[in-house]
Formats: sequence, structure tokens, C-alpha cells
Amino acid sequence: MIALEFPPINEILRWKDLFPGFNKIALIAVAAALIGTIIFLLAGSKDHKTAPKGVRNFAESIVEFIENGIVMQTMGRDGLGWTPFLMSLFLFIYLCNVPGIIPFLQMPATARMALPMFLSLLVWVVFIGTGFKHQGLGYLKSSLFPPGVPKALYILVTPIEFISTFLVRPFSLTVRLFANMLAGHILLVTFALLSEALFQAKGNPGLIPVGVLPLFMLIFLTGFEVLVAFLQAYIFTILTAVYIGGAAHPEH
Amino acid sequence: MEALAALAALTGDEAKAASAAGSAGFAYGLAAIGPGIGIGYLVGKSVEAMARQPEAAGMVRTTMFLGIAFTEALALIGFVVFILIGL
Amino acid sequence: MLTAVVIQSGDSLRVKLVSGEGEEGHSEDGHSFDPAECAFEPEEANPNECGPGPSPIIPEMKELVWGAGAFIVFALLMRFFLFPRLKKGMDARYNSIREGHENADAARSSARSEVAQYEAAVASAKAEAAKVVDAARATLESERQTKIAEANARINAKREAALRDAEAAKAAVRGQIESAVSDVVTSAVEAATGKRPDSAAVSRAVSDAMSAGVR
Repeated sequence: MIALEFPPINEILRWKDLFPGFNKIALIAVAAALIGTIIFLLAGSKDHKTAPKGVRNFAESIVEFIENGIVMQTMGRDGLGWTPFLMSLFLFIYLCNVPGIIPFLQMPATARMALPMFLSLLVWVVFIGTGFKHQGLGYLKSSLFPPGVPKALYILVTPIEFISTFLVRPFSLTVRLFANMLAGHILLVTFALLSEALFQAKGNPGLIPVGVLPLFMLIFLTGFEVLVAFLQAYIFTILTAVYIGGAAHPEH
Repeated sequence: MEALAALAALTGDEAKAASAAGSAGFAYGLAAIGPGIGIGYLVGKSVEAMARQPEAAGMVRTTMFLGIAFTEALALIGFVVFILIGL
Repeated sequence: MLTAVVIQSGDSLRVKLVSGEGEEGHSEDGHSFDPAECAFEPEEANPNECGPGPSPIIPEMKELVWGAGAFIVFALLMRFFLFPRLKKGMDARYNSIREGHENADAARSSARSEVAQYEAAVASAKAEAAKVVDAARATLESERQTKIAEANARINAKREAALRDAEAAKAAVRGQIESAVSDVVTSAVEAATGKRPDSAAVSRAVSDAMSAGVR
């Protein structure tokens, strides 16, 4: 019998204040913004005439990725003006996700509700604002009364469209990012705890070698979390692009 | 039998907590079935499309990720419910 | 105003975020987000109601504020300063690369036209050379023709002269034979008839007979 007790969830998620009103999550968020700024500051100050190397190459490949992989795929050429916003969104989310697997930090800042909620509310405001800016009040008409539907069906379609466009979108954006990162964090904690408990099993020394198995799983999951951190940042950004593109041009 | 007896012995808050833990597990397990099937089907079809038309692979991949994002949201809502009920 | 309260229960430390006594009016907003209403009351009073801290679903005010501030500053910096600077450099380089490509294309086409010119010059030179060679060949041919004609003319003249000589010799011989035959015939007729025949009639008869005999 081993004594394996999973700690209450807040014990693995909430952190002591480093100083009043500033905890680890805030530190990670600030550091993410700072690192992103520094990367682009360094990249911008390098000589731009020769072939890019090092940090400039990195920054330019991010720009190309956002432009070719996200903007051109979802919004077309008209959306290229959104590149800086989408890029800061992508970089910020990625740099907040990645501390989940960095030793001694071990906490994705997006596994707390605050950041995903703020970001998706911001996206919500931005895409609705874009819709009204490009189409005026016609935005409400084109989003609530989609063309090509028989008149009688609007009783059914309009509430559904309203819920799915204006309520479910921010909610699903929030929950997707938050729950993915939280689930990854809990998985890592679970396997780390299991491995530790097996290594320290007192009464039964035969269990000690078995502790290697969850350790391997932990390593595998860490690699998986690298992928998830990137993928969630990508999906959040591309969904933002799709929402903004849909609000700007209803025909798409 | 023993477990049931132990459950019967619990009173008030403890019984509530025990049933909450059980139903949380059910909630997540049930919520994961549909999206699991859905994502499998979706990715399989996308791979088929990419194999048929490798030149359209970029577009198919983007659409696939969008589809995965929408499908996966259901499982994640289940996960959030799991945390809300169980913890 | 938020203050952290550290509570020791058993062997674990627990941190709790407690709102201050609300000196500022705006702290009311914070409470709607802030973990649980129970934070106002001391934890020991009713620990069961709140459990160990707020639900993980509820966002915490300080994280929200710091995260939002960091992101907004980052996005604004990116929009107005960082991205345009990088993009300007990228565009400049891409344009220079495109210009280089265009220059290379222009250089290639000009080189191609030069090659064409050179080839045309070579062709015209060749044609000229061929013309010269043809002319030379023609003059040579005509000279040869004239030489051949001259030689032929000389040969013909010689042949005609020889023929003439032969004819003359033949005629002379014939004349001699005629006169000899006329003499013989005259003397024979004189001996036979005793009368000298007319020499003109004899020579005509001889020449008739000879020309009939030659034929």
C-alpha cells in the first residue's frame, strides 16, 4: 500500500504573492510580454540588408508564419493589417504556455482563468468592433439573419446564430485555452506525484523500480505539452483571424 | 457491498462529496466519447484528403485544425464541468 | 487593496487573498471577480463553506490586471513600434532582392542580345567570305574556260592547216597522175589511131574517169 494523496487543486495552481498583488502568474505574463518585446527590439535593430541571422531570422520567421500560415489562409490580402495584433496574441499566448514545461517555473500562466478570459473578451470586442466598422448596423443583419434561409426559419436560426456568434465564441475561446493548459498541467503533476510516491514507497521496496514507468510517461507528456503549447497558441490566433475575417467580410 | 455500506455510513456533506466525485468522473468520461470519435473521424478524413491532393495540404491542414478546435471544445467543457463538480 | 494571509493548517501552508477593509470605493468591482465572498470573514469561522480557496474557474483580480496590462502594452508596442520597424527592414530587403532579380534578368537579356549581335556579325562575315570565295572561284573558272577555248582554237587551227596541206598534196598528186595518165592515154591513142587526139577531150575524160574511180 502506498500513500498517494493528490493535493487539493488550488495547491498546484495558486501561488504565493511574490510581493503584494503580484504572483507567479503575473510574473509569467509580464515576462512573456517583456521577452516578446526584447526579441523584436533586438531583431529590429539588426542590419536588415543582409540575409537574416539569429534573432532577426527568428522574428522574421514568426512574421512569415503569421502572414502566410494564418492571415493569408483565413482573411486574404485585406487582412494583412491585422498581422501585428495576431502576432502579439500568438507570441503572448505561446510564451505564457511554455512555462508549463520549463523547469522551476512549471506553471502555464494560461492555466489560470484570468488570462484566457481577458484575451477572449478582447478578441470578442475586437471582432464585433470590426463588424460594426466594416458593415455598420448591417453586421447585425448579416450575422443574425444569414441570407438564403427561408423566412419562417428565422425564428429558429436567429437565436441560434446569436448564441453561437456572440456568446459561445468568447466562451469556447476561453475554455479551450484554459482547459487545455490546465489539463496538461494536472497530467504532469499526476505523473510526477505517482513517480515520486513509487520511488519513496516505504513498506514495499519492489515498487521502487516500477516508479520508472510514470517517469517515462512524464517525459513523454512533457514533449506532448511542447506541442500543445504551440498548438493552442496557433488555434487561438487562427480562430481570432477567422472571427475577424468573418466580421469584416460576411460572404466568407 | 462493503463500498455501499461505507457509503451508507457517510452522512450529509461526506455523502455529497462522494457522489460529486463519482458524477464528476462520469461527466468527463461521457463528455470525452463524442469528441473522441469526432476528432478521429475528422483527422482521418483530412489525412485522406491530403493523400489524394497533396497540393491542397496546407488548406486542408488549416481547416482540420479549425475543426479540431470546435470539436475539442465539447470535451473541454466536460473537463471544466469535471473540475466544477469534483473539486 | 489585496493582502495575502498565510495560514498554517497541519503541515501545509495555505495562502489566502483577502480584500482590505475597502477604503476605496472601486474595490466593490473587484469583489465580483474576487475569490469567494468568504474572503471577508476569517477562515477559521466557517472553513467548510469556502473550502481551501476559491474555485479554479474563477479568475483572480491581480492576475487579470497584470496579464491584461502586460498584453495591452505588448500589443500596442508591437502595433506602433516593433512590427513596423521589422517589416520596413523586411520590405526593403525583399525589394532589393526583387530589384537584384530584375537587374539580373535585364543583364541576362542584354547579354543574350549581344550574343545575337555577335552571331549576326559572324554570319555576315561568313557570307562575305563565301561571296569572295565564290567570286574567286568564278574568275578562276572563266580564266580556265578562256584558256581551254584558246587551246582548242589553236588545236583546231593546226588541224585545219594540216588538213589543208594534205588536201593540197592530194590535189597535186592527182594533177600529176592526171597529166601522166593523159600523156599515157594520148600516146596510146596516137599509137592506135595515128592521130593525135584533142588534148582537152583527153584530159576531161581522164579526170571524169578518175573522179568516178575515186568515188
